[in-house]
Amino acid sequence: MREIGEQPAPFSLPGLDGATIHCPDGKPTLLFFFETDCPTCRLTLPYLNRLSQYMGSESATIIGISQDDDSATGEFATQAEINFPIAIDRDLMVSRQFEPTAVPTLFLLDGHGKIVRTQIAFDKSELNVITTDICKAAGKEPFVLAKPFDGNPDTKPGCTSRHLEPASEGAVAAGPNLFAKQGSRASLIELADDVDPIDYCLEAGYDPLPVIPPTKQRVDQMLSAVKFPPDEVIARVPPNYAAATVEKIAVGAVMAGCRPEMMPVLLRLVQAACDERFNLHGCQATTHFAAPLIIINGPVRHEIGFVSSGNVFSNVARANSSLGRAFQLILANIGGARPGEIDMSTLGNPGKFSYCIAENEEENPWDPLHVEMGFSRDQSAVTLFSAEPPRGVSEHNARTGRTVLKAICRALATVWTYRMCAMFEAFVILCPETCWEDIAPRRLHQRKTREFLFDQTGSHCELTMTMTPKGHSSPDFTNRSSLTASLAIANSRDPIK
Amino acid sequence: MPTILINPFDESRREPRLPAPRLDRLAGKKIGLLDISKPGGNFFLDHLERLLKDRFAVAEIVRLTKPTFTKPAPDKVIDSLLQARCDAVIEALAD
Repeated sequence: MREIGEQPAPFSLPGLDGATIHCPDGKPTLLFFFETDCPTCRLTLPYLNRLSQYMGSESATIIGISQDDDSATGEFATQAEINFPIAIDRDLMVSRQFEPTAVPTLFLLDGHGKIVRTQIAFDKSELNVITTDICKAAGKEPFVLAKPFDGNPDTKPGCTSRHLEPASEGAVAAGPNLFAKQGSRASLIELADDVDPIDYCLEAGYDPLPVIPPTKQRVDQMLSAVKFPPDEVIARVPPNYAAATVEKIAVGAVMAGCRPEMMPVLLRLVQAACDERFNLHGCQATTHFAAPLIIINGPVRHEIGFVSSGNVFSNVARANSSLGRAFQLILANIGGARPGEIDMSTLGNPGKFSYCIAENEEENPWDPLHVEMGFSRDQSAVTLFSAEPPRGVSEHNARTGRTVLKAICRALATVWTYRMCAMFEAFVILCPETCWEDIAPRRLHQRKTREFLFDQTGSHCELTMTMTPKGHSSPDFTNRSSLTASLAIANSRDPIK
Repeated sequence: MPTILINPFDESRREPRLPAPRLDRLAGKKIGLLDISKPGGNFFLDHLERLLKDRFAVAEIVRLTKPTFTKPAPDKVIDSLLQARCDAVIEALAD
């Protein structure tokens, strides 16, 4: 919505009576955006009629801007006995220019068209302020337009402005073809010589951080690493279900700093993420602080340079960081989950910059994740998990592996919230020295470790039962006994990986 | 030589659709209430149901619940709503 101090361009609209209405006209002007089926607009009208009567047309102008057609507006104006000029905003161009979020909205303009006051919906005190302002600007004595206890409420919310509703003649417009295998080629953007490409990408919203400009040359080089045609649709990315073509994925790869040989992994990753079973839609649109965590397994780790040692969750290697970042750029720019728009996360997740780890299979005394899930060691795999930000457990003083695991259990019990930790899954990622020195030598095998975590994890809850001997209600006769119980993190061991 | 960039965004054109016409009145209508299954949604919708019946003389209320709020409504729920032939559906949640 346009704000105080701004000066939208002058406009002319056809009036209900056939005459053209111009704004500004040199006088203080009150614009009243309304819809004919909006009860709050109807509630506001008698006040504006009174204001118009008081002001006269010499010292100030009041213009009603209808967002509906001539016939509905004419009927409405007659019913409501509107005594000021009404303009018909047929294609909502003026509404789009002033951007009222709701109707009714009032804009008070000075004689040059600069906005000096705004009011959304119905609010008696605001209406009186705007009345005072227009009276002063027009050299008239201010008065109380909306009195308390006049039978109307002090405030009433309005309706969505028409220009924010899906507005077109396309009542039966076809939705996107979700099954098309071939998409469109991306458009090209030619930059003037004096435009810095990195600044351009920042300004155009490619990412809040600087990116490598996706020049045609760089994208072509990325595309040369795969055999798929550039317009082939690899997946539909929720929540907008837009087509992730090979070319668009390559653009994300370039911007994030991937090397061309990472393209096959990125293509499979996007495909896996958009498989309905993963429910990326939920992850991308939730108010929760989840982000897809990528876990890389198998020989591809060494082929491409994924690092699984110290700092695995942060800036440890180009492969980890750039693959995770490319994936996030694709989700936002193609799938449309952007903060403040469809991505409704309350607190966000630092993983939305990049969230990609690899498993240190060589130093793992147990089976790696992908083997547990049915692949062989010589296969490469990507696993996705909707994860909260990682929470560390630091336990330096434990003398046994069990003590380490108990410390982990305490943290596991706080996944989501300790009050309802029974529905959620969790990944426990152990450092090699913890496995080798503390847990594995004590014959806590993988299955046993998981069982231990499941059995020991929970929120300690104390149920106090009050037993009162029959016939006596005095506290003196009350016995208390406590029962302690644990609420497990999950309803089976399987959700703990 | 000018710099040529490849557009990273979804460029597909979505045809806008008109919203369904608003009901002229609620009296005598059949209204669907779809709970997305967040905890608390039933309290809100129970209250809404009472309001619609008592104050607005709605003739019939159809109550449906999505199996989970984390996913779009499955076809089964959408089909049930279609078969109920409601005049309007209110999808709501409370947390």
